[in-house]
Amino acid sequence: MKEIMAIVRMKKTGATKKALISAGVAGFTALKVMGRGRLVTEHETIEECKERLLAMGIDDVTDAEEVESEVVSFLDDSRFFPRRMFMILAYDEDVPRIIDAIAEANRTERGVGDGAIFVMPVADAIRIRTGEAGDAAIW
Amino acid sequence: MLMIRAIVRPEKKDEVLAELSSAGFHAATLVDVVGRGKQKGIRIGRMVYDEIPKSLILMAVEDRDKDSVIEIILKTAKTGEEGSFGDGKIFVMPVEDAYTISTGRKGL
Repeated sequence: MKEIMAIVRMKKTGATKKALISAGVAGFTALKVMGRGRLVTEHETIEECKERLLAMGIDDVTDAEEVESEVVSFLDDSRFFPRRMFMILAYDEDVPRIIDAIAEANRTERGVGDGAIFVMPVADAIRIRTGEAGDAAIW
Repeated sequence: MLMIRAIVRPEKKDEVLAELSSAGFHAATLVDVVGRGKQKGIRIGRMVYDEIPKSLILMAVEDRDKDSVIEIILKTAKTGEEGSFGDGKIFVMPVEDAYTISTGRKGL
């Protein structure tokens, strides 16, 4: 028995739910969290997005340098952003399929910030309604 | 690989996260939680507050980094010299696999 913890973009909640259903998983627990990933060291990956934001941000009034550092802090993962955390209980043999489905639904062309998936062992699970324990309690 | 779950005071979380980041442990997930400890919450007169707001910090780290991360959290999340009730707790759990979605790579 495994617990899959997936931290994904807020906007991808719906896509992730659909992907989970098509992977045959209906049950999950989701919560709102704040998250940040590794600091971006290769600045080419955020260059395109940065140009686009800078074009919107710089005018005659604002300080160009200030705007740039602000924009970079938005893109290089140095601050926390709202993320959706999914927690899914699964049988051992279903784990790769579920991970593929989540990764497929959440990958964007931006290169960073698409989230992370962790797989953790679970010692036991009990369904409160029936009292059944172990693998029987998952679905 | 291990998952460090640290429950700390909300007012201490920024300090803890800044310290961890400068030590090279930047990635983290933050959840607002409420809870009580073995002191059964706070009792003021007849009122009992047993849903005390805390911040839960989730961090996946390599096994070899466990001790340094825990040491940093212990040092920065403590209030006063001796520490006080309500400073929080740290739990460490095993993680079997980790995947970064954007690169599709396995591992941290």
